[in-house]
Amino acid sequence: MFFLKELEKTIQLHPSYFGPLIRSHIHRELLTKEEGSSTGKYTIVCIMDSFEVSEGLVLPGTGSAQYTVHYKAIVWRPYKGEVMDGVVTSVIRAGFFVDCGSLQAFVGRTMIPPEITFDANATPPQWTDNAEQSIEKGTNIRLKVKGLRSEVDKMYAIGTIKEDYLGSLNHTN
Amino acid sequence: MKILSPQGLHYPITVTEVAKKRDDAVQRSSVLFSYYYESTVTEGDKWGDEKEVKKKFPARFNASNEGTVTAWFIKAGSVIQRPGVALLEISEPCTHETQFGGLCVECGKDMTAVDYLTKDRDSDRAQVNMTHDNTALLVSHREAFRAEEDSKRRLLTAKKLSLIVDLDQTVIHTTCERTIAEWKADPENPNYEAVKDVECFQLADDNVANVAANWYYVKMRPGLKDFFDRVSKMYEMHIYTMATRAYAQEVARIIDPERKYFGDRILSRDENYTDKLKSLHRLFPNNTDMAVIIDDRADIWHYSENLIRVPVFNFFPGAGDINASFLPKQQELVTTSGKSKAPEKPAVKDTAESEGEDAQIVSIAGKPTETTPAETANGDLPELGQQLISMVTGDKPEVLEEQVKEQEKVIISQLTERPLLQKQLELDKEDKEVELNEDSPEVENGDSQSTEHHKHRHSLLHDDDRGLDIVEANLRRVHDAFYDEYHRAKPVPPGGRVAELKGGKSPKKRNLSEHVPSVTALMPQIKEEVLEGTVIVFSGIIPLGMDVENSDFALWIRSFGAQISLNINKNTTHVIANPDRKTTKVKKAARYPQIKIVNAEWMFQCCTRWERVNEQPYLIEVDAADRGGSPLGDLEDDSLAVSGDDDEAESPVLDLSAQKWQALDDELQAFMDESDDEEDPSASETESVGSETSARADGKQNKRKRKRATRSTDVSETEDSDASVDSTSKLQKRKKRTIERVTSLTNVVSADKSSGLPSPETTGPEEGQGEEEMDAEATGPAAAPAAVDNDDDDGLEAQFRAGFESSEGEDNV
Repeated sequence: MFFLKELEKTIQLHPSYFGPLIRSHIHRELLTKEEGSSTGKYTIVCIMDSFEVSEGLVLPGTGSAQYTVHYKAIVWRPYKGEVMDGVVTSVIRAGFFVDCGSLQAFVGRTMIPPEITFDANATPPQWTDNAEQSIEKGTNIRLKVKGLRSEVDKMYAIGTIKEDYLGSLNHTN
Repeated sequence: MKILSPQGLHYPITVTEVAKKRDDAVQRSSVLFSYYYESTVTEGDKWGDEKEVKKKFPARFNASNEGTVTAWFIKAGSVIQRPGVALLEISEPCTHETQFGGLCVECGKDMTAVDYLTKDRDSDRAQVNMTHDNTALLVSHREAFRAEEDSKRRLLTAKKLSLIVDLDQTVIHTTCERTIAEWKADPENPNYEAVKDVECFQLADDNVANVAANWYYVKMRPGLKDFFDRVSKMYEMHIYTMATRAYAQEVARIIDPERKYFGDRILSRDENYTDKLKSLHRLFPNNTDMAVIIDDRADIWHYSENLIRVPVFNFFPGAGDINASFLPKQQELVTTSGKSKAPEKPAVKDTAESEGEDAQIVSIAGKPTETTPAETANGDLPELGQQLISMVTGDKPEVLEEQVKEQEKVIISQLTERPLLQKQLELDKEDKEVELNEDSPEVENGDSQSTEHHKHRHSLLHDDDRGLDIVEANLRRVHDAFYDEYHRAKPVPPGGRVAELKGGKSPKKRNLSEHVPSVTALMPQIKEEVLEGTVIVFSGIIPLGMDVENSDFALWIRSFGAQISLNINKNTTHVIANPDRKTTKVKKAARYPQIKIVNAEWMFQCCTRWERVNEQPYLIEVDAADRGGSPLGDLEDDSLAVSGDDDEAESPVLDLSAQKWQALDDELQAFMDESDDEEDPSASETESVGSETSARADGKQNKRKRKRATRSTDVSETEDSDASVDSTSKLQKRKKRTIERVTSLTNVVSADKSSGLPSPETTGPEEGQGEEEMDAEATGPAAAPAAVDNDDDDGLEAQFRAGFESSEGEDNV
């Protein structure tokens, strides 16, 4: 799910950046460092343009200046039970891996409807019901999150496609 | 799951009540049974008296897992005496056999959660990783076994085996030198033909700092496409490389654009848990019966029995393996110290290249000439100790950083120094010289054709590697042997006792593993026939100070059924020697016509072709003088004792011919002239090595070699200084030298100084054995064993001491 969230970030700036363009330097630093990063709980998708920069504070000893920036950002946080779309990255006998933006999900064999079976001899290997559904590398897929775990800068999810309206999104018919 | 009585309870405990009945659902942390235990406590009454009282304490036992109770093994009143007793059985709704990133794939629960009830962490249930491209997905052993059985059945029906393919220097060769791009764009260049099919790519997430957008140039081994085409019919192929994932993916795109050979079966360093070793069990956790490996290095596979060692593919001379800095340092195979090579090796190399046909043979065999530049490019310190250190500290982040830096260094040096370009320029220059020299004869016979021929610039790169044909033949052999065996075993119903035990089961229902032969057993069987019955002695091949028995060469050739012997004895059939040097062993072997003295090339050919190659082309020329010596039956003695050299030393003296005496006189003269050198401290140090390894009182040979000994000492000196210029190995060497000094001190102490000291001249004999010294120096002073007491004031007793130690020295030659 997407949220608009107020965030705070401390940025240190090297003295060589001091000057009239300092604000744009801070902005660039903020964008490159924060956008797309994941805290383990959520991913920062987009930083809003309006942001507040505190007074700079020169750190004793280094000469760098420290700024505290308050900004708003659109963040994305997955929840258990949420339905999301992703792209299949790898297909194996035990299931398949799905990339949902910054979240890597795995759909295990037990989470796939029984009529969809694994075909190892196909190139590339795929999960298929030998009819309209076939799941191979690159397939767009809709899945539901069954379990979620976050590490320091990474999130793992277990997904299922064993419910109505879940599964492959590119139907061949 | 069976629940056992845990550690840490106050045993013995007595069960008072069982709280759940059979088939009851159990929640986590709900009470399973209550019990009491007894303990003595100290109680005080109001008058301040204390006494020990035995008391009963009631307690409850909580469930650590949810599920349903299937069986009770205890009842009210049972007394449990110790931990490890079965209490009850709970069947779990999910056994968490497949886990992804710490989550159970089946129930979605977090497996890493730990609380006061946790006995065994759930994450311990699935610890096998058998996915190529993901480290987060783990399965239990049971699940892994099931998966393997599945794939085994699939392979058997398709009549295939699994083949693990290494990339760098096995099927491709990569360099970063942009000279290749220039050559590729220039059809005039002599190397154009060779490099025109070189593919290049860039890695987006290249971690080579400061070298943004680095280009990699990949040369496929000649005939690779056809090789894959044919082999993929017999094998299901996997890539297993020590390069990064991105690199492996790019290379796979080049060698397998349609992804029909490898699919997604690519395993890279990023997914391999250790940096240092490749393991079959990473992909086949339980059963490696149907897996074959092709790789150019055996050490990183722990000399696995499934390995077919491939001749190194070295297309770009000197480029080496750009991903090798992540592997353990390669054992220095042949004594390739800078010193002995400085004068001779470049010459050898140049001729090899300008002759235009040699270079490829060289790369087929991974001959010393080729490995040398590769290793120097990697800034090597190939001492065994260093290797061990790097193995031990392998997984530390600093080490990894160091390795990354090392790789960076290699790449940068390829980018800036452009060794290939330099070599080609050199070659061109040489060509020009040849042309000039040839001018006069051309005028004489007026042959215009030869002029044209000489105008042709020689190319540095040669596109005639045939290594894959050999590999394919070997692969076919293994495949055929496997399926022959399989089909032979299949129709026969399990005989005797097996059938009895199996009862009336139809053979089809038999467990698969019963009649499936194992590559692990078949391949050594095929290989051992190759050199069966040969007894091989290495001489001047394996650096001194290295354990011969466990050296790369010895392990390799032994896997082909050959026996390794340390000394020449009557059983010896082959001596593998360095053609540039005449060691005592060669001399000794030369006197026995049945012993074939061959160069290392013979061994490479045998071991890569898997057949006993005719020795004739690889024989080393031995002087007629050496051949002439009489065996005098001293071989038997030698086989018994290492010190048998004494006998050998005396016998030749008997049949010295007139010209030999003349030669001896000359050498004696030379020796006398040079005797001053002896005062040189470093000289004595090196000489001591000689004395340590050599036989005593070798009256005939020592004087002749005296000359060589002093010469080599000089060179070793220069090498020392060279080494100290080399910043990377400087400290190492100094350390080594310090250690040597310490050992030499201890030896001095043990030597009896009071013995009658001969004059410096008479110590001459102990400085004989020039070749032994050459060996020692060739490995660099670092590899030389402890330098001993050989200053001139050490007496005969010291020599005898050294004689005893000589066994050690001999071992290492």
